[in-house]
Amino acid sequence: MSVALDFYVHRESWLHRLDPRVKFWGMLVGFVVAFLLSSLVAQIALLLGLHLLLLANRIPWAVLRRLWRQMALLMVLILVLQPLFAPSGAVLVAVGPLRLTMGGLVQAALLATRTLVIAFFVGALLFTTDQRALVQAFVRLGLPYTWGLTFSLMLRFLPAIQQLFVTVREAQAARGWVAEGNLFRRFREYLPVLVAVIIGTLRMSDRLTLALAARGMAPPASAGTSESPQRTVWRDLHMRSTDWLVFIGITLALLAISFELIAFGG
Amino acid sequence: MLVVEHLNFAYPPPGPDFLQTEALRDISFGLGTGEVLAVMGASGSGKSTLCHVLAGLAPRYTGGHVSGGARAAGYDVLATMPPAGAVGLLFQDAATQLFNPTVEDEVAWGLEALGTPPQRIGVQVEEALARFSLLDVRMRSPWTLSGGQQKRLALAAVWAMRPRVLLLDEPLGGLDPQGRAEVLAALETLPQSGVTLLLTTFRPQAAALAPTTLVLAEGAATSPTPTVEVLRDEARLVEAGILYPPHLWPTLEARCAPSPAPGITVQDVHFAYTDGHAALHGVSLEIPQGQFVAIIGPNGAGKSTLLRHFNGLLRPARGAVRVQGKDAANRSTGDLAREVGFLFQRPEQQLFAATVYEEVAFGVRALHLTDVSGRVERALARFELAPFAQMPPSILSYGVQRAVTLAALAALDTPILALDEPAVGLDGREWARLLAWLAERRAAGVTLIIVTHEMELAARADRVVALANGRVVADGVPDEVLG
Repeated sequence: MSVALDFYVHRESWLHRLDPRVKFWGMLVGFVVAFLLSSLVAQIALLLGLHLLLLANRIPWAVLRRLWRQMALLMVLILVLQPLFAPSGAVLVAVGPLRLTMGGLVQAALLATRTLVIAFFVGALLFTTDQRALVQAFVRLGLPYTWGLTFSLMLRFLPAIQQLFVTVREAQAARGWVAEGNLFRRFREYLPVLVAVIIGTLRMSDRLTLALAARGMAPPASAGTSESPQRTVWRDLHMRSTDWLVFIGITLALLAISFELIAFGG
Repeated sequence: MLVVEHLNFAYPPPGPDFLQTEALRDISFGLGTGEVLAVMGASGSGKSTLCHVLAGLAPRYTGGHVSGGARAAGYDVLATMPPAGAVGLLFQDAATQLFNPTVEDEVAWGLEALGTPPQRIGVQVEEALARFSLLDVRMRSPWTLSGGQQKRLALAAVWAMRPRVLLLDEPLGGLDPQGRAEVLAALETLPQSGVTLLLTTFRPQAAALAPTTLVLAEGAATSPTPTVEVLRDEARLVEAGILYPPHLWPTLEARCAPSPAPGITVQDVHFAYTDGHAALHGVSLEIPQGQFVAIIGPNGAGKSTLLRHFNGLLRPARGAVRVQGKDAANRSTGDLAREVGFLFQRPEQQLFAATVYEEVAFGVRALHLTDVSGRVERALARFELAPFAQMPPSILSYGVQRAVTLAALAALDTPILALDEPAVGLDGREWARLLAWLAERRAAGVTLIIVTHEMELAARADRVVALANGRVVADGVPDEVLG
């Protein structure tokens, strides 16, 4: 079976130990700040700060580099298209109707950095929080457990479904199937593959239903009744004093930045 | 603790044109607290069905018709679903049912569902991990583990809930010899733990864990008999399709003179996966047409990776592959399918057509071969699949699905066959069918390249190639390589 969608980097660190709810709040505040700050220098400083934070919390360079690589195409698109579609200020080069302007370039750089800042805020949460804690955080924030379970099952089985698709294609190719003809014909030839993948997925979910039932997953109607016991949680989340301090710190930072922007207009 | 009386079970018919399939017929036996019983039967004999009924899953989740009586751990399982803390079930395909992000979470999940107090969960997780030797992989993702580890994890997850009755459905199923040895070692300690144990198997090593054994054939059972007696009566186990001991195997000797024509030529092939993990480091092989080559080696040695180069599923990063003397680089997998028949692992994931007939006909049509119906019917007959021809392949048992993938290959009649672990999880009857077909192909001068962990099979090849860490470490006649 293929790997699952899991970004967690298992390490011992301060950020890893921080309550996932606080980290989630930190990420949301980070989004707001990234949108509010319109200075390129401030964005770059924020991005640098995030790198230092992650490295200090023992997330290896290779992981950060992978995120950079994943963002690379988007960055290139922003840097190339944004100046052309939103020109402003002094014209540097003009080719036909296209004008490359100083203002456009700065805006593109700002948008690109902002996007990276957001990506690294998401990374800071996902690299340092295991899936179980993440789901638990959402449950403690009020989501029903079955939603949390569905979310982690999705992360587990989406790659499996994709793998199923690859497997069926390979099985067909190994028996003489060759992609040919126009787009319509190719699409038609993909239909049986899709059907096979859907059947495979249904069978996977059938087996999973059995597995969940055999391991004590109560049907939703009877959960918590005398027939089936209330679910307990191993290693439940607890806000320690450090968690509260960081939470207050993040909230104060949000207030300070908003106040400054409102009072001094950015 | 476990009482079964005149139990009958029939699955609902798979479609309007089918009869319902009788899976269990008049089964009766009883087990006291702490007793161990093995249920031996060939693939499709009703072993899994029995486990599912006793765990309260069938017909509750599967549909079907049940009659008679079944009590486990004090629960009438036909009337109420027994709690997981009373009756535990290890599924045959345990690996696909692991769904937690880490090994320890997987073990804790069931305990949480049972409502175990959090401070006790930690203790029970620890004990289960220690018992099944999983402490060193506790933070790993379950789906990065080997087959044997996954099976032990699934077992640990069930065992941690301390069921009074434990049902193990083919605990050694689908595993290579190393995985089987690991799981068997883990199982050996269970009978002393006081749990009432029922295990289904077609392997004598697993049955030997139980003092008594019941033999299941086509849904009907013998009465429990001392296991030593059951295992002594080899002829009967062979007849029931459970065993196919090597001394009965066909010779698999070549009946044609060795051909000077090239079959598959591999020249200094290097390959690395996109995640950077290098799988092959300069492999060279010259396989003449008609040779029978067994490729052996530990998990991760690069055996499947090498085999996938023979029909273009993978392309070398460096080096060349030639099929019957012609460079394969510019030919698609679909085109190479004319010369190279390829059998994948995990047959249940390869089946895509609406019926078994269509599944077998797919390749014949894709390659525009003549006499479609003749080829398909001969292949179906060869693997005793005619009764299943109009059934959807997805609902069939593992052994029958494996036979369908073999029939799909047989219908193409290719001069080269590349088979990836064809023997994993086969019972006696399926081994017999596979070996008879291999013997016939061999006599017809077909090149056989088989990746296998089964040394009895490798010993019958003309030549054994051993891989380790992406390199050929031994290449010669079986006696030389296998020692």
